[in-house]
Amino acid sequence: MELVIQSIINGLIQGGFFALFAVGLVLIFGVMGVVNFAHGELVMIGAYTIWLVHAQYGFPYLPTLLLAIVLVMGIGLLMERFLFRPTRSDPLAGLICSIGVLFILQVVATLIGGDGPSKQVPPPLDGTLVVLEFIRIPYQRLFGLGVSALALLTLWYFLTRTRLGWALRAVALDREAAALQGININVISFIAIGVGAGLAGLAGGLMAPLTNINPHMGHNVIITAFIVTIVGGVGSLSGAVYAAIIYALFHTFVTVYLGGTVATICGLILMVLVLIVRPTGIMGVRVSE
Amino acid sequence: MTGKTGKIISGLVLLAALLLLPHLLQYHHQDLLIFLTINVLVVASYRIVTLTGEWSLIHAVMMGVGGYTATLAFKQFELGMWFTLPLAGIVAAAIAALLCFPLFRMTQFYFLIGSFAAGEAIRLCWIQFVNPFGGTGGLSGVEPPLIGNIDFLEPVPYYYLTLVVVGMCLFILHRIEKSRIGLILHSVHWNSPLAESVGVDTWRYRALAFIIGSFFVGVAGGLKVHYLGTITPNQFGVGFMVFILIWVIVGGYNRFYGPVIGVVVLTLFDESIRSLEELRPAIYGAVLIASILFLPQGLESIPTRIRRLFSRKPENDSSPSNK
Amino acid sequence: MTILKIDRVTKQFGGLTALDQVSFAVEAGEIRGLIGPNGAGKSTMFKNIAGFYAPTSGDILYQGQSICGQKPHSIAELGIVRTFQETTLFQELTVFENVLVGCHKRARSNLFNAIFRLDRERQQMAADKVIEVLEFMGLSDRREQLASELPLGSQRALAISVALASEPSLLLMDEPFAGMNPEETNHMMDLTRKVRESGITIVLVEHDMKAVMGLCNYLTVLNFGKLLAEGTPDEIRNNDRVIEAYLGGAK
Repeated sequence: MELVIQSIINGLIQGGFFALFAVGLVLIFGVMGVVNFAHGELVMIGAYTIWLVHAQYGFPYLPTLLLAIVLVMGIGLLMERFLFRPTRSDPLAGLICSIGVLFILQVVATLIGGDGPSKQVPPPLDGTLVVLEFIRIPYQRLFGLGVSALALLTLWYFLTRTRLGWALRAVALDREAAALQGININVISFIAIGVGAGLAGLAGGLMAPLTNINPHMGHNVIITAFIVTIVGGVGSLSGAVYAAIIYALFHTFVTVYLGGTVATICGLILMVLVLIVRPTGIMGVRVSE
Repeated sequence: MTGKTGKIISGLVLLAALLLLPHLLQYHHQDLLIFLTINVLVVASYRIVTLTGEWSLIHAVMMGVGGYTATLAFKQFELGMWFTLPLAGIVAAAIAALLCFPLFRMTQFYFLIGSFAAGEAIRLCWIQFVNPFGGTGGLSGVEPPLIGNIDFLEPVPYYYLTLVVVGMCLFILHRIEKSRIGLILHSVHWNSPLAESVGVDTWRYRALAFIIGSFFVGVAGGLKVHYLGTITPNQFGVGFMVFILIWVIVGGYNRFYGPVIGVVVLTLFDESIRSLEELRPAIYGAVLIASILFLPQGLESIPTRIRRLFSRKPENDSSPSNK
Repeated sequence: MTILKIDRVTKQFGGLTALDQVSFAVEAGEIRGLIGPNGAGKSTMFKNIAGFYAPTSGDILYQGQSICGQKPHSIAELGIVRTFQETTLFQELTVFENVLVGCHKRARSNLFNAIFRLDRERQQMAADKVIEVLEFMGLSDRREQLASELPLGSQRALAISVALASEPSLLLMDEPFAGMNPEETNHMMDLTRKVRESGITIVLVEHDMKAVMGLCNYLTVLNFGKLLAEGTPDEIRNNDRVIEAYLGGAK
């Protein structure tokens, strides 16, 4: 019982992180039509920023977190301007370019941190919240959950309540129609990748003290993001959030009882099943021809 | 016909060069030559999958399926390479055939992601099930065949063996592409509703291309493991899949020999930057990006481009003679 | 003899009814026009017949057999072949190769034969068929050109050649005259008649009234997904409901 409750809480916290990077991937795919294979590496760069600036040079955690967001956002904007914009007519070309970026970012990380063992960042927030004597939640994790929830709520507000958010959704729905309405696609793409990459940077920064940091950590991130995106329904942001939470709970439980590899295998099989039975995902709507 | 004679002569020259090549190289480079030859088969078999317009991300794992099949057949049933190689292809093809049912309900982006997921699931199974797959550490102790007193552990004999097998496979792949089936695969790519409207079962042809491609990459996996002696799940991860993509894209995928040029040129390039060590992946990434942005038709389009530059005439896309 | 019978076909997309209990029959050997204002459901009807959509309810009978719910390629196999709105070709292939793809029924090959070149005779027959079709459609001298390099009129003729190569008994033509000048239209009308004379029944969806009236011997009019009227071109021209539908609509 204790294990179950503890797992639910851990799963929820994990779900918050999953949602942060999956939502970014969905946003970029929805607006720009590009599958950003380097999304996991964006998260990785966010984590490396924390390791280098905060853990190595002792800069305070919160400003570093901000720096991570801005830095990754910058990488995203560069990708859009120099890679995705020139290849907009060919989605495959954009995907391949993002794979190129993936390689480059991994090498950058290796150059910064070396190829040695994974790095650890000591949690900047000490202490553990103890509820009912058996549920233990380190404050660092609680902080991560709070910030992810806040970020997602802000995004939701931005997309549904502001004019810019409306324009973003219009482009995601039908790029050509939106362009005819006078929406500047280039500006909207900048915003989409800026927000998407910023969220990835935030996710990396939040996860840094809770995970092993190495140049290849992006691999698991992108697999998780794919699973969440597909299960949630490609193009559906709320679907991605729900799917992130559900998948995180699922993954946490299977990991506890059967191990991490089995959990990922199950996730992948789940994803293929969703693709077969309901390619539009749990929240998606079928677009008629 | 002079064109035909020219082709025969250039073919003979190429053959002679391929036969002589290992004797001009050092031991380390002979090794590399074998892997290059195997990788030629990998990209050529990938091309037949892409002919229908679907970009699969499971090809590397299919090579692994062939490799593990050969390994297990060799170790558990003590089968020789003459049996393990075809078996590797057949098992990879059979698994591909099973995967067709879920995967080819999808197209485009969904197929890409679906094939990636299916491949990753298979790969994780090799890690998870230590018996019989050996887990992360994989398996070892696979040996090349012994014919008479020729020791195929040596690179030169094994290179010739590889050359024969890969040559046969390429011949078959080329024949398929130039046949009626190849034409239909093209038609499925360029306009699948139109193909369907004249009676082409597009699902079947997509599946067929996928199964054929998997068969040959399975054989390639068998060739690799018999030389290397060991096999691990990480040899067939996303990293290798990405290399396949890079080879094919940088080489150009509009013609049969485009991917072959890609793998040869990039392998040579990779050798030449060996001293840069850990920077190599980044340089690869940059080359990939540059070729997408500046040479979207791939290396194989360079002769055509040059010709167009000199001849001012609207080009008529005459393909240069088969290398 | 009735070659195609549409029996109370309904097609819904979500809440939208695109076709509502439509019934009509096509006799072998005729050129039937399927007309109606924009959004009347003509193209939807075509897609249902050719198997690209499955009707929500109702039945479609071809030579007395139900073909409802079959895949497009099996329907093509039975002898119903469609051409597409706008010009649909294999742009990257030559004229010859385009028509060769069309010969699928005749030239199909299996892997074994393909690798060992065991069906040369069969492929030769297919090539002969291509030459015959190109001759018939007046495209012989363009054989080696890329489809994308042809002028519009020839592209349309090629699209029909691709369909003819698959040896249909019923040809569904989706707006074959769209975007053509009068000269091209006349040429296409001649070709269409020629196709009919070779024994192929034709159903065509078309907006060009002059072409439809001149070509078809019988017309079926749809409006808002319902059958509005049927009759000879003269009858339709003088049908009050049809006139009202066209004048009351966008046109």
